[in-house]
Amino acid sequence: MPEKPIPEQDPIVTKSFALHYLVAMVILMATLFWALWDEAYGQRPWKAFQQEWKQRYTAFLKTQHSKSEQSIKEIAQSAAYQQLDQAARQAEANAKARKDELQKQISDLNAKILAVQSVFTDKRAYVNALNYEIETDSSKSGKASKQKELDEYKTEVWFVEYPDGHKEKYNFAQLEEKYNELKDERTKASAELGEVLKPVTEANTKLAEYVSDHMVDLTPTQIDGLKKKTAEWDPKIQQINVAEANIVDRCESCHMGIREPLKISAAVMTPKGEKKPDEYAQAFVSHPEPDLLKAHDPDKFGCSPCHQGNGRATTSIEKAHGNYEHWLWPLFPKENVEAGCQTCHAADMVLVSGDVGWTISEGKDLFRQKGCMGCHRYEGYDREPEDLNNLTQQLKQFEQQKIENTKDAADLMKQADAAASNEEANRLNDKAVALRVTNSKIDGRIQQLDFQSHSLMQDQKKVGPNLKDIRLKLNKNWIPVWLKKPTDFRPNTRMPNFRLNDEQVRAISAYIWQSALKDPLPQQKPGKADHGKELFETRGCLACHSIGEGDQMQGGTFAANLTRVGEKANYDYLVRWIHNARQRTRPYCPYEKKDIGPEDYAKKGLPYVFDLEHSQCPNDGHELQVQNMTVMPSLRLTAEDAQDIATYLMTQKQKEPSSYADASFMDDPKLKEEGKKWVRQFGCAGCHEISGFEDEGRIGTELTFEGSKPIERLDFALFTEGAQRGGKEPITDPEDLKRLPDGAAKGPWYDHKGFFEHKLAEPNIYDQGKQKSEMEKLRMPNLHLDQEQIRALTTFLLGSQESSLPDSYQYKPGDARRDIQEGWWIVKKYNCMGCHQFIPGQKTVLMGMARYRDTPEALPPKLLTEGARVDPEWLRRFLSNPAQSDTDTNRNGVRPYLQVRMPTFSFSDNELRKLVRFFEALSQQPLPYIPEEVPTLTAKETDMARSLFSSTAAPCLKCHATGDPQHDKFATAPNFLLAKQRLKPDWVERWMIDPQAVSPGTSMPSGLFRKQGSQWVFAGPTPPSFQGYDKDHTKLLVDYIFQLTPEEQRRVASAMGRTRASAEPPSSKHQAAAGASTSGRTASSGGSR
Amino acid sequence: MDWRQLWEIASAPDNIPIVGLIPLLIFYIYLAWKQAKANDELIAELETSPAMAKTHHRKSWPFRPGWQKEVHVWPFLLRMEFLAAIIVSAILMVWSITLSAPLEEPSNPNLTMNPAKAPWYFLGLQEMLVYFDPWIAGVVMPTLIIVGLMVIPYIDTNPLGSGYYTWKQRKFSIGTFLFGFLFLWVAMIIIGTFIRGPGWQWFWPGQTWDHNRLIYEVNRDLPDIFGITSNLAKAIFGAVVVGGYYLVGGFIAHALFRRYNPKDYQRLSLLQYSIMMFFLLTMVALPAKMLLRLAFNIKYVWITPWFNV
Repeated sequence: MPEKPIPEQDPIVTKSFALHYLVAMVILMATLFWALWDEAYGQRPWKAFQQEWKQRYTAFLKTQHSKSEQSIKEIAQSAAYQQLDQAARQAEANAKARKDELQKQISDLNAKILAVQSVFTDKRAYVNALNYEIETDSSKSGKASKQKELDEYKTEVWFVEYPDGHKEKYNFAQLEEKYNELKDERTKASAELGEVLKPVTEANTKLAEYVSDHMVDLTPTQIDGLKKKTAEWDPKIQQINVAEANIVDRCESCHMGIREPLKISAAVMTPKGEKKPDEYAQAFVSHPEPDLLKAHDPDKFGCSPCHQGNGRATTSIEKAHGNYEHWLWPLFPKENVEAGCQTCHAADMVLVSGDVGWTISEGKDLFRQKGCMGCHRYEGYDREPEDLNNLTQQLKQFEQQKIENTKDAADLMKQADAAASNEEANRLNDKAVALRVTNSKIDGRIQQLDFQSHSLMQDQKKVGPNLKDIRLKLNKNWIPVWLKKPTDFRPNTRMPNFRLNDEQVRAISAYIWQSALKDPLPQQKPGKADHGKELFETRGCLACHSIGEGDQMQGGTFAANLTRVGEKANYDYLVRWIHNARQRTRPYCPYEKKDIGPEDYAKKGLPYVFDLEHSQCPNDGHELQVQNMTVMPSLRLTAEDAQDIATYLMTQKQKEPSSYADASFMDDPKLKEEGKKWVRQFGCAGCHEISGFEDEGRIGTELTFEGSKPIERLDFALFTEGAQRGGKEPITDPEDLKRLPDGAAKGPWYDHKGFFEHKLAEPNIYDQGKQKSEMEKLRMPNLHLDQEQIRALTTFLLGSQESSLPDSYQYKPGDARRDIQEGWWIVKKYNCMGCHQFIPGQKTVLMGMARYRDTPEALPPKLLTEGARVDPEWLRRFLSNPAQSDTDTNRNGVRPYLQVRMPTFSFSDNELRKLVRFFEALSQQPLPYIPEEVPTLTAKETDMARSLFSSTAAPCLKCHATGDPQHDKFATAPNFLLAKQRLKPDWVERWMIDPQAVSPGTSMPSGLFRKQGSQWVFAGPTPPSFQGYDKDHTKLLVDYIFQLTPEEQRRVASAMGRTRASAEPPSSKHQAAAGASTSGRTASSGGSR
Repeated sequence: MDWRQLWEIASAPDNIPIVGLIPLLIFYIYLAWKQAKANDELIAELETSPAMAKTHHRKSWPFRPGWQKEVHVWPFLLRMEFLAAIIVSAILMVWSITLSAPLEEPSNPNLTMNPAKAPWYFLGLQEMLVYFDPWIAGVVMPTLIIVGLMVIPYIDTNPLGSGYYTWKQRKFSIGTFLFGFLFLWVAMIIIGTFIRGPGWQWFWPGQTWDHNRLIYEVNRDLPDIFGITSNLAKAIFGAVVVGGYYLVGGFIAHALFRRYNPKDYQRLSLLQYSIMMFFLLTMVALPAKMLLRLAFNIKYVWITPWFNV
């Protein structure tokens, strides 16, 4: 047992725990205080932000205040200000005497009212209470006794002591009367005061308005207001709560400066002495795009619908930004911030504001141009094939129903013949008749569907060329070389690298070769390469195509680079293609699923003619695909010109076509089946038309909501752990590594952004280390994108989310804005922006070319106000036939003087309608358009107008074309005879007054008219007949132009011809400014664009 | 050795109680064991010397005149318990400040988390689902555990060991408790927490929880091994095997109990004894089934249309 000595006292009873208790209690109290601190500050880090904000913003406002005072001093020195200030003082002085009097009266009345009121309200309360009791008393006697009590009370009298000390006696009725009387008096006095002060207020308002109109920044008073607000700020949660959209965003609890009226940068919020903006300074900046904020009012939209993140969280920065494992919608990274636009604006190819150079727009364009939608479905992209498929299905059902109905009808008739009674026979007969009527209705429906599919088939385009034509089109030996690695041949091609092995290359090329059409092609005469080169460079081919490699490259990236086209192309086919790319070798019947040849036409005794007017299948009468599915338009060249261009292009090569290794294996029929398998496996038919694959579906996953896919559904394969923990970068290929927007991964990248970026940089990255057969391997080809492109596409995909916002928050307008939305899809589809400017600041491809640098008047016209300018019906006709003539087509219809050619896109009726509505909506023109009546001019007015028209100060016909070939050689603006059909009179007037405001940079001279009072008068000398003419000269001229006849124009032109040599136009300084008169030609006085 | 994986599991706020449980259990068992050992020594001494038994009845000190023979709960016990309460309060406060509730993302019915784990105190039950069907593991076994715990006071006839720690006087009770609580309940929670990863697969501590891991494992039912195909035969076969386990196991347990615990055996009535045997054998059935499943890949022994064992 224990060696210890036994203590005297029992330790259980005597031992003291005081120290233990003391220590335990101290610890407990410490934790208690810790808990309190945590509750107040630890869990509320935004309080520290708000404290810091108060200090820094106040300091910033101080500096702003002095600046603002400086500028207000400058304003105060202006005469206008002095005058207004004087007026304000004067008004003040005038009103002073009466104002003081009234104010005194009102304050006296107030005191009296108060005195009466204190007695009256007390008595009234008693009377009201008594009244209530009378009303609710159930017994008659009770009512009566209470009524008596009330009457007695009302006869009692009370004293009211007025402020001047005297007292008066009143009973209840008198009291009430007195009270109302006093109040009436006060109302009267107040009204009069308002009347007296009115001129003073007005003068002061004018003064304040003048100041705020002339201050660029805030006025000192406004800044003082901000200072006061900031100084009085108590820390509190700043919350935006939108119940209908379930938005609760507390972001502004830290980001205090977001909506401040001043521009706040991180630099001005950085405390003195610190070099880099700290956490606080970065949080306090104002929103970098105030315009966006104006369009999306934060009180309605909150923050998180655009930026994502966890709007409710307030306990830490990570939590609030949603940058933690369990928050599914983390803040969009800064470089992908425009992904937020996509969540609501998925249907917009071009965002509502003029969004030149936005990442998200770039992403949308890339998704389309690179042909992503060939494999991946994405809501809104490339809808035509799906719609066509639906139509074909419906057609088949209707056809089937027709056959069944016919059979049933025959059956019913038979039954009717054998019917027992007459009624029965009649009934059956009626049924049979009804079925026949149904069939006729179905016929009508089928016709409609065929009509729709006519448009759809015209609209349906493929990203890649038609491979049914490759036997006619290509150098056979070139095909396997191309397939092996397309970028080796053409570094910027859209065709991606499929990582094919040699067997696959052999099989695929054998299949497409053997399945291609073998029709003969007409022989073409060789052309003149020199002339072809000139045409190629001037007709506008370079708006889409490029030529030259590396630094030498010029032209657009919308279509193929033609540097080595001579190595692969067949001359005869190339001529046909350049002449009209839409011309098909054989029409395709989607109903029968076959290419229709001459033999089918011959069977029915029909001529072998197929085009947009002859698009019915000879076999079944349904619509045929009669055009190549390419966006390449027809430039309406003559056959010779087409030959010249083709000849020039055939000289574009780096080695001889004959030097390609022999590829006769492509005729080996044994390879065909194998090839078909691989064509299907790699989804070649997504971009190309291939025989046997016309109805092939998309092979990729749908991407419409890819950004909101659970991260678990994105297969990181063997890199899951590495991505979660930030292991080493899996991409090792140096070329692919260069594609990653942020370079090799430096930390964890297990998120959507990381997945998309790695997938786009090296699409088979997630196969690395996996044991897979050829058929199982990831199929997505390498699109050889650069960093910016991957960033844009990642932004696009991140924003592709199934939004939880209500429908009213999505941008799905039903009015004219919808026309704009739909129009942009077509504008982007045909690369209209390669030649035309649609948005101020947008650069076209042609603008950037050296050829046009010194002659901007040779560029295609800008379309900034096209909808306001032209008549919609004319626009529709022009778009369907830009030559505006059926016979003389080798020219521009409106601007024959331009070398660059507006091509014929052969838009479908559907697209024509959409485009016209688009232009009208873009210029805020009402639809339908009702042309303005142009008043007929009197003979005198015509004379006056003619004198303006032919004035030496503004010789209109000098630049505008007249139809006289001699003259038009030097013309740089359209013919006036077109105006009546083409233009809207009100626009023409605006145009004449200030052309620069309508189309910046135009060489149409400005300053032709000046404002005299409310009248626009000609700036040059006017003949005496204008004396006393009080209408606008502009209006007169417009009316004249709209009534111009060819004879009149000829007369004026010939009259002017005599004076032309002597007259130096007064507008020459404008031309010089526009850089137009550099070519030395006297007549090159600029063009209207 | 994947230390990061180990740390991720151990540091998850969900698992803090279990990580704390391990050292705490070891410490308290050690403490109880130390006191039990001292008491057992004292008991042995007192049994040999009647004189000492008169003066020594506390384990630390012999009796002294003037000392109270018994002390009051208030204040002498309660003042220590209150101290303990203060310390535990402080610990809980610190815990609740530093570790927030481990909330995860909003539930998505289309996407189940993997591994989907019960709260830590239920992980033992979840682990049992590997060995029995949900009806047995989720309903029958928990009911038996609760009823078994309720029954203890009625079948514990041993009057000794009340109010002090001892091993010698209550070998069977303490042994059974340690086996049932430590080996079965706590060990299964630890397995469920540290060992079971994605797909409820067995990952040794330090092995990476790879979601794409594939293993080859085929489990069979015992009747299949014997080539029994008809449902009726399977049910009968299973009933015989399970019945045989209780019969044979009962005989073995009976023999051992009588041999090593004659005093208890004599004190027990037949009803008490058979109830005790039933619960004991049912408890032992769990490790037996675990062994069959883990070592021999046997899924079920007794297959009926209604339940599987």
